[in-house]
Amino acid sequence: MRKFGMKRAVLGAAIAALAMNASAAHAATATGTATAKILRQITLTNTSALQYATIISGATASTVSVSTSGAATCGAGLTCTGTTTAANFDVQGTSGAVVLVGGDSSVTLNGSLGGTMTSSLTYSSANITLGATGGSFQVGGTLNVGANQTAGDYTGTFNVTANYQ
Amino acid sequence: MPDFLKGFGLFCVALCGFAASPVHAAGDLLVAPTRVVLDGSRGTEVVLNNIGAEPATYRISLEIKRMTAAGGLDEIAEADATPAERAALDMIAFSPRRVTLPPNQPQVIRVGVRIPEGTPPGEYRAHMLFRAVPDAAPATASEVAKPASTGVSIALTPIYGITIPVIVRVGNLGAEASIGEAWVADTADGPAFNFGLTRTGNRSVYGDIEVTRPGVSEPLLVARGIAVYPEVGARAVSLRVPPELAEKLKGPVRIRYSEDREVGGGTIDQVDRVVK
Repeated sequence: MRKFGMKRAVLGAAIAALAMNASAAHAATATGTATAKILRQITLTNTSALQYATIISGATASTVSVSTSGAATCGAGLTCTGTTTAANFDVQGTSGAVVLVGGDSSVTLNGSLGGTMTSSLTYSSANITLGATGGSFQVGGTLNVGANQTAGDYTGTFNVTANYQ
Repeated sequence: MPDFLKGFGLFCVALCGFAASPVHAAGDLLVAPTRVVLDGSRGTEVVLNNIGAEPATYRISLEIKRMTAAGGLDEIAEADATPAERAALDMIAFSPRRVTLPPNQPQVIRVGVRIPEGTPPGEYRAHMLFRAVPDAAPATASEVAKPASTGVSIALTPIYGITIPVIVRVGNLGAEASIGEAWVADTADGPAFNFGLTRTGNRSVYGDIEVTRPGVSEPLLVARGIAVYPEVGARAVSLRVPPELAEKLKGPVRIRYSEDREVGGGTIDQVDRVVK
């Protein structure tokens, strides 16, 4: 009984340490063994969106850029209001693992009242090396706003993947 | 099966602990393991878990990717696939292909392999993509960010996912790799540690890189899971490092490329280099 409790504690420690001490669960006793296969994992979470906020277009075509750090550059002739952010993705997995970042280089946005815009997309890094607390990458972009761009809500989707090699 | 379930329950304990970090978006996901190698006819299982706060529908598919000389993975349209890439897509079977999961609900994806008679020896590979199917653009977005009469408001939705390689080996294959020159260089996003990897043989090489300074036991840099796939004979590896580490890496170092710890961790190549 006591032995069993001990073993559970050992196993608990093994789980807490993820893969590191998994072999400790195979204690060398003749009675009932418990095994746990710990698989390497990767998680991807989206913690902020790429926000260009609200733009009032001008008489000439211009651009709005949001850097991968979230800083906005409002092109000549445009009025930009609201808070801009870069898209942020958190990645967690084995410490030291190198994860390749991939995704679309541009996206087309369709307006609720007609009209389209395109945005190029920039990634903070082509690969990230995960630390003990994981890692993250950001996506910024440059939005092409036409002269007297039709007002409305513009929506678009873009693909992003975290790739193990 | 009961054995597996028992293991799985414990595994879930680990996952749930790990996934306790703040979650926001629908579509956040966990995939384990991060690499699948199949030789012979035995299949395996991959776990997908919804770690978001909302239920989400995930699609699972196989993609073709080719390694570039710069070490990236290019997406290849199915129409442009080589016969070997096509064969990889045909021999890897998996199910389910679409699944709706409530938060914190794991799902096992079964992966099987059928190697047709007469398949030439070699390594066949596809990349399994897991990603959430986006909901229709949330109505709240337009309510919150109602445009001024002359303004435009923007809602960009990322469709994001994870890919892991699924590798099928047919026949007796071998490969070796060697480490080239190493240097530190500045990139647009900060300094990076660079080196080349050259590969020979008829399969990929995969393993961990450890950079140590002679006489110092603590490694300067560890980078795990670096592959050179058969479609390239050589690739560059460029790892971003903090500026203070970039300075430390300069000078004499030992670079070791070792096999994955799960298959013994044997040395693939080890060299002494003076990093500039």
